[in-house]
Amino acid sequence: MTRRTARLGLNRTGYLYVLPVLIVVVGIVYLGVAYNGYVSLLDWSGIGDGQVFIGLENYVDAFADPVLWTALGHVAVFAVITITVQMLLGLTMAILLSGGAWLRGVYKVVMFLPVVLSPAVISVSFRNLLSPDGAVNAALEAVGLGALTQPWLANPDTALFAIAAINIWAWTGFSFLLYQAALSQISQEHIEAAQLDGAGRFRTMWSVVVPQLSGTHATLVLIGIIGSLKTFELVYLTTGGGPGRSTEFLTTYIYKKAIEGFDAGYAAALSVILLVLSLALTVIQMRVNRTLKG
Amino acid sequence: MFGRTRLRERIIIQVLATVIAIPFAFPLVAIVAKSFEGQGPAANYLAVLTKTPFLRFMLNSLIISGGTVALVFVCTMLAAFAFSKLRFRGRDTLFVVVLGGLVLPAIALIVPIFTIVLRLGLLNTYVAVILPLAAITIPFTVLVTRNFLDGVPDEILEAAKIDGASSFTTLLRVVLPLAKPIIAVVLVWTFLQSWNEFFLPLLLLQSTEMQAITQVPLYFTSEYGSDTPKIFASLVLLSLPVVVAYLSMQRFFERGLTAGAVK
Repeated sequence: MTRRTARLGLNRTGYLYVLPVLIVVVGIVYLGVAYNGYVSLLDWSGIGDGQVFIGLENYVDAFADPVLWTALGHVAVFAVITITVQMLLGLTMAILLSGGAWLRGVYKVVMFLPVVLSPAVISVSFRNLLSPDGAVNAALEAVGLGALTQPWLANPDTALFAIAAINIWAWTGFSFLLYQAALSQISQEHIEAAQLDGAGRFRTMWSVVVPQLSGTHATLVLIGIIGSLKTFELVYLTTGGGPGRSTEFLTTYIYKKAIEGFDAGYAAALSVILLVLSLALTVIQMRVNRTLKG
Repeated sequence: MFGRTRLRERIIIQVLATVIAIPFAFPLVAIVAKSFEGQGPAANYLAVLTKTPFLRFMLNSLIISGGTVALVFVCTMLAAFAFSKLRFRGRDTLFVVVLGGLVLPAIALIVPIFTIVLRLGLLNTYVAVILPLAAITIPFTVLVTRNFLDGVPDEILEAAKIDGASSFTTLLRVVLPLAKPIIAVVLVWTFLQSWNEFFLPLLLLQSTEMQAITQVPLYFTSEYGSDTPKIFASLVLLSLPVVVAYLSMQRFFERGLTAGAVK
């Protein structure tokens, strides 16, 4: 991180300016993480005194807990599907609209509006729209695809994919927006040079435009991975992790253990695992990007 | 971006864009349509506003959002200014410390937040939600604001310094007026995050009169069973403020978000 030398104020006042942020972020996030680490070594309900120090037992239990591995598998499947589809759809839409379509403003609002809605609104709406007699099945029947109708969220075979689809609906606008901004910064000369060389539109797109967007691809993959690990409301409010464990995520499992199961020690250990995973994946991602760029 | 497009191509583009957009538009239309069913739009919306604590929940969310926005705004501007324009030892390290918060999912803090709030007797208070919300929002707002301020030439600030202005006066009189686009982003983004937040109020505001607006659908279902059209009316109502905020600040919002993220 090499940055220009700032030339204003060569003294200690800088600390005063960053102090409020440090108090809030360090005081809540960092101390929270440390406290989490401490509680993860306890057998404790989370309320009252009965804390018993048990060392790493919660972690040993967690790694032997099939639910943890099932949940991580679901997060991985969810991440791969949502990141891929959101990037493809967002990029395609950004490219299409850059080619001068009518009513671009309307398309933009339609794509981005879901991004600003609350996960609570989205989840409650889709639980209804995807129900057996909901609007999605009605629409499928109307276009002659009645054979495909499903209780999307209640069928263990489709529930995880249904949640992924809801996420794609909610977040494609974000990918679209970033691609749109990145496309507007691509140098026109490269594109014209490729076209002079006789490259067709698709060819130009694939070999000139898409590689120039590598920064945006990387940002979206990183945000997508962290976002998948963070996903909670969308699952909690649609399937609650069910039917059975078919859509259990690490976050919903943590919530259940901490709040419904009164097992704060175990929930804290799962939280530490979640945190280490997010950190590790972020660092790996950034390394990979740097290698690809270098 | 591909020079002139002929009419035939333009029509193909239009058709493709529409095919992609329909699945995105359909749920939006379906949500509003559902809220008009049953006893009709007027009766549904009126019932939500008068027969439920909707307005009370809305007041709670306004207080939470207002508090969070104020806290995040003040903290962000001070810190981003220092990270971009002031020189002090350990600056880049402290910046990375703040950014570390970007990676952390709020739910990973469920145990510390809940037990500490419980111990301090802060359950069912606004502060219990505002502080963690601010803490998880600030890393992002500091990042985009610092990126924006890096684009403001130091020369402008030096001129103010030569005129004898202190660094704080410079921030107020010179930097803030230049930073309007990113200020808009910080305000709208933080408002969206705090208004839309579901998990922290669910965890920390459990008494009925303290609940946040995002809990209306759950409250509705538990009190009235599944009166679907009215639940959807409440969903539309609770989304109106964020939709209006987004639409009215659309240009600023998009420019600022991408200025911070495309780097």
